[in-house]
Amino acid sequence: MKAGAALLWAVVLISALAQVGVVHGHRTLLQEWQQEDALRVQLLQEHTRLLLEKSTLTAHGRVDQQARKQLNMTEPGKVQVLSQ
Amino acid sequence: MNAQPNQQTTLSGITRWRFTLVLAVFGCLLGAVLVRLVMLHTVDQPFLFEQGEKRTVREEVQPAMRGMITDRYGKPLAVSTPVVTLWLNPQQVNVQQLPAVAADLGLSRKELTRKVERAATQGRSFLYLKRQVQPELAQQVLKRRIAGIYGDDDFRRFYPAAEITAHTVGIVDIDGKGQEGLELAFDDFLQGSEGSRQVVKDLYGNVIKQLKVNAVPQPGGDLALTLDLRLQYLAYRELKAAVSQHHAKSGSAVLVDARSGDVLALVNQPSYNPNNRASLRAENMRNRAIADLIEPGSTIKPFTVAAALSSGRYFPSSEINTAPGFVRVKNKTIRDHRNYGVLDITGVITKSSNVGVTFLAHQLGAENIWDFFSKAGIGQATVLGFPGEAVGSLPYPEQMDALRLATVSYGYGLSVSPLQLAHAYTSFTQGGCRNPVRLLMNNQPQTKCQRVMPEKVARQVLDMLETVTSKQGTGSRARVAGYRVGGKTGTAHKVGQQGYEDSEYTAVFSGIAPISSPDLVLVVVIDSPQGKEYYGGEVAAPVFSRIMQQALRLRQVAPDDGSLPTLQMAGGPA
Repeated sequence: MKAGAALLWAVVLISALAQVGVVHGHRTLLQEWQQEDALRVQLLQEHTRLLLEKSTLTAHGRVDQQARKQLNMTEPGKVQVLSQ
Repeated sequence: MNAQPNQQTTLSGITRWRFTLVLAVFGCLLGAVLVRLVMLHTVDQPFLFEQGEKRTVREEVQPAMRGMITDRYGKPLAVSTPVVTLWLNPQQVNVQQLPAVAADLGLSRKELTRKVERAATQGRSFLYLKRQVQPELAQQVLKRRIAGIYGDDDFRRFYPAAEITAHTVGIVDIDGKGQEGLELAFDDFLQGSEGSRQVVKDLYGNVIKQLKVNAVPQPGGDLALTLDLRLQYLAYRELKAAVSQHHAKSGSAVLVDARSGDVLALVNQPSYNPNNRASLRAENMRNRAIADLIEPGSTIKPFTVAAALSSGRYFPSSEINTAPGFVRVKNKTIRDHRNYGVLDITGVITKSSNVGVTFLAHQLGAENIWDFFSKAGIGQATVLGFPGEAVGSLPYPEQMDALRLATVSYGYGLSVSPLQLAHAYTSFTQGGCRNPVRLLMNNQPQTKCQRVMPEKVARQVLDMLETVTSKQGTGSRARVAGYRVGGKTGTAHKVGQQGYEDSEYTAVFSGIAPISSPDLVLVVVIDSPQGKEYYGGEVAAPVFSRIMQQALRLRQVAPDDGSLPTLQMAGGPA
């Protein structure tokens, strides 16, 4: 009878402590996940920013202008067409 | 000791009953507290629990990232990027702290204070501070840790190609819902599904505890279009230049892959910048190439001729007498530009003879013409799933009397969208067997094509179309150096309030290049050109030439015009 009660007490104590531990673990994990998620959002933002930047820099109109003005390129005239 | 026998006293001389009374009172108090405690834990528990939850537990919606729209090579046309929407609770916020926030966000200090105070007196507990703020700026505001100011994750849509693809891609509203174009048509697909979870939050809106996840956010699907952004750019540039040069009301150009039916470029003027919502005007937002119907005018003649050739009764060399240059049908006179005399079938196309095609149509009959035209896709929906897509119209054979039949044969009394016209022209380039048009890469190309005419006839019509761009033809200005191109000009009177207007035109050019092995079909429509030039051959053909020239080069199509002097590549692979 006495041994049973002691055992029950022990079980109650252990589970109480375990609960505290689990709650702590949950919060730590949640915080970790939130940090990772924030990082994900940040990277996503960086990614789209770079994507937009790239598409602005490679826009056909810009490439066309740079080729003409900076690189002095011209369209092939009649006699300049190459054939194999 | 003067003790009384019926009254017990304690050692200190206080009567026992008083002691008992005090004890009992304390006992009662303790009992009351106990009863209250039990009440709180049992009877009142659900109510209190709910109230507690209401104050700390939040149902949080996590927005899903909207899918990207790209061109056929994956270049972005519409991209969502994470931003933060800042809002405040006027009940919790301290008005003294607002000026600093207003300065951060570039808002008017007075205005903000006034708005918040008014909302607070109205008892509201939600007010947008600023929507769709750059994340860095939002962090700066949130770092002040002002009670009652919160930030929610949100997405903002950007359109890198702006007005160049605006009509096709469309636009979303500030809540990320599709409003126009493909953004509207494929809203469900692009949207994804929002996530939702239950969390415990503190006063600053930080998540302390996650209670339950109801749904994980699923990002939306990506949509790849068949458009080629480079071709789209140059088509837009040339169209815009022509529309402003001729002071036209509007214009459209549709470039279609002659082999597969993929739409490579689809541009309209006027256009709009979807990144700047303040400048939107509804009339600029219509995708004219898909949603507007035009009377195609002479660009329909190749189909009348193809119908005649398919019947087996005519050959390209068959001769028709178009003298004296006009013909009376019922009580209307159908005229040619001038008297062309005897023309062969090729000449009917080269000179764009109304009398010639009227003769052919009357010989074939309404039934045959209707049958052929509808197989070619004229007046048939293109079924792209685009909002506001026009179906067009083609009168049924029983609706066509001799006059209607004659007008249909040269492109009046029926209507098509520029895209339909381009699609119909692919009948000639795909060996007489037409594939459906395709705007989305996600749709698998269909292998079954619709037979419109025998392969031989398609070839014959292509050769006829080439004569239109010869020196004697009406479309000589559509020529492209180095390539054999073919096409057909069209100039249609516009319909006004009292029938056809005398001085309002639609100039059309519909063409194919290169003729030896067709790669591209291009339709250019210029609506209401002002000034001396208004013929399709004068207004639309030069645009066709410029777009086609650059498009062929970009697609690295080998020049097929043998008359052009070329250099032999020295030392290269033979």
